[in-house]
Amino acid sequence: MSNAPGHAPVKSIMPKWVRAPQDFIGGLALVALALFALWASSDLQGMRGFSFGAGTAPRMFAFLLLGLGLAVMVVGVTSDGPHVSTYHWRGPLFVSAAILFFAFMIRPMGLIFTAFASFMIAAMGTPETKWKETVIVAVCLTAFCALLFPYALGLPLQMVPKFMIR
Amino acid sequence: MGDVLSNLALGFGVVFNFVQWAPPFLGGMSIPIPVNILLCLIGALVGTLVGVLPGIGTIATVAMLLPITFGLPPVGALIMLAGIYYGAQYGGSTTSILVNIPGEAGSVVTALDGFQMAKQGRAGPALAIAAIGSFFAGCVATVLIALLGAPLTKIALAFGPAEYFSLMVLGLIFAVVLAKGSVLKAIAMIVLGLLLSMVGSDIETGASRMAFNIPELADGLGFATVAMGLFGFAEIIRNLDTGGESDRQLVQQKVTGLMPTKDDLKAAAPAVGRGTVLGSILGILPGGGAVIASFAAYTLEKKVSRTPQRFGRGAIEGVAAPESANNAAAQTSFIPLLTLGIPPNAVMALMVGAMTIHGIVPGPQVMQKQPELVWGMIASMWVGNLMLLVINLPLVGIWVRLLRVPYRLMFPSIVVFCSIGIYSVNNAPVDVILAGVFGLVGYWLIKHDFEPAPLLLGMVLGPLMEENLRRALLISRGDWSVFLTRPLSAVLLAIAAFLLVLAVLPTLRAKRDEVFVESEN
Repeated sequence: MSNAPGHAPVKSIMPKWVRAPQDFIGGLALVALALFALWASSDLQGMRGFSFGAGTAPRMFAFLLLGLGLAVMVVGVTSDGPHVSTYHWRGPLFVSAAILFFAFMIRPMGLIFTAFASFMIAAMGTPETKWKETVIVAVCLTAFCALLFPYALGLPLQMVPKFMIR
Repeated sequence: MGDVLSNLALGFGVVFNFVQWAPPFLGGMSIPIPVNILLCLIGALVGTLVGVLPGIGTIATVAMLLPITFGLPPVGALIMLAGIYYGAQYGGSTTSILVNIPGEAGSVVTALDGFQMAKQGRAGPALAIAAIGSFFAGCVATVLIALLGAPLTKIALAFGPAEYFSLMVLGLIFAVVLAKGSVLKAIAMIVLGLLLSMVGSDIETGASRMAFNIPELADGLGFATVAMGLFGFAEIIRNLDTGGESDRQLVQQKVTGLMPTKDDLKAAAPAVGRGTVLGSILGILPGGGAVIASFAAYTLEKKVSRTPQRFGRGAIEGVAAPESANNAAAQTSFIPLLTLGIPPNAVMALMVGAMTIHGIVPGPQVMQKQPELVWGMIASMWVGNLMLLVINLPLVGIWVRLLRVPYRLMFPSIVVFCSIGIYSVNNAPVDVILAGVFGLVGYWLIKHDFEPAPLLLGMVLGPLMEENLRRALLISRGDWSVFLTRPLSAVLLAIAAFLLVLAVLPTLRAKRDEVFVESEN
């Protein structure tokens, strides 16, 4: 957590008057989200007399968020602060891929295959992975989950692919 | 007084409840099994197991382990969750003493002196004093909960919707003031949480709000889903950034000689006492909980010590005080949850989530209608603390070995484990995808220095706040001044406003940051 401005001499695409890009972009995103929420709740009924409609509270919170987002942006312009730290693509990409794969495969393919394959996909998220030990651990974890969830915890999960059941 | 004792007796009765188990292979013989004690033990054990993993904090641990309690009856599930919570806390301390990577914010200060002690070959006494201090603090806090529980519930029953709304505002403001980092950004996160809680169907009209005709969103964003994404997945992705291995400096020598010496105990005893008192008080306040308590206790010890220069170089008081405070606060933070139904911090918010899944709406009514649930949980806290003392010290060797598991093998396991956990809640693949999305959102939030904990708090309080706001305005026939004309509500709002002003005043802000500064150097 260093608060030193311009800690790393990253090439900034931000104009000069943005003194704390981290806050500025953060605030901007909140504003965008608030506007989106206002649009998404625009079809809901507002106040009826003195009782709340379905849309009153969501719009209230959205307006609050809009104001706070703007305030964070103002802070980003008026005071010095850190740059946006660098993003890494490898970790987020493969972890998300593993999660997505799990979500789409658990129904048709069952727990055993899906858990093993998701493990291998997630393992690609770091260059430090050594494949032999990864496979061994993946097999062990799959076996552990296949015993833990359905038997020890009594959660009915389908183990094998659908086509094998029939 | 008699009330307190009979209540505690009821609680211990629930905890020491034996179930007759007659397996067929014993041929009709039945064995009495203390189910709830076993659940508490297992909870504390798995909690420590996961909490000990470096980089995984208390909130992440509780979020990840939530699904394993869903299949249990409500009382058992909550007792197990409480066990998980304490286990996770203690696991975090173990990690910070042995690896100098605190698993959670609360044990950052423990790492300062704990790791130095470990480097001097005194890891054993450091771990032992942490456990003993925690146990003592736990005992005191359990009694405190039992004493304060009933009277606070009576006050809470007198609250109308306007008072409740103001109380929640106060709670959220407290959470912001006592947290680390920018006040403005923390408030923004709370409001974002409130907004997210609006997704789903409206309580009164049943209208679908911001659900975009996705059937899985009709009931709102799943609480466990968001928590797992924000804390589980986001932490994993963030840890991958730093390369995992590079900055781990595990104490290599074997942990020997667990027992602290007489001098150690003599030095630590007053620190434990002060830490317990400070932690108990800060824990009751909404928002603070364990993190601020351990920081404050460390600062206090350094101030009262005759040899402050020893701090940071392996002073045993520097371990004893924050660990006791940490545990006392963890426990007393159940008070606002159990009596008022308002979660004071993110872990308690998770507890609310678990209760709701079991069909329990936390609040004063629970105390009256299901006393065995509340008192059973309170009694289980004490038992949980005892378990920690009994299981953790002998098992130190295992925890140390766990710390050697390389991150490259740990993180895919956590990804898979969490995915199965989320999927098993509703058997819904969409929940898994949503958790993944919130994982990325959490990663983004960390990159922009937004704290995800207030978001979670806002999300839990959102529906409650809306409901009470609506009711208050309905009763007052649309008159907004009701929040200021009802005396109790006005007082609560005044305190909230006062705190907020204090928090943004530059001098006090510097004071607040000073407490947190210990961790930076």
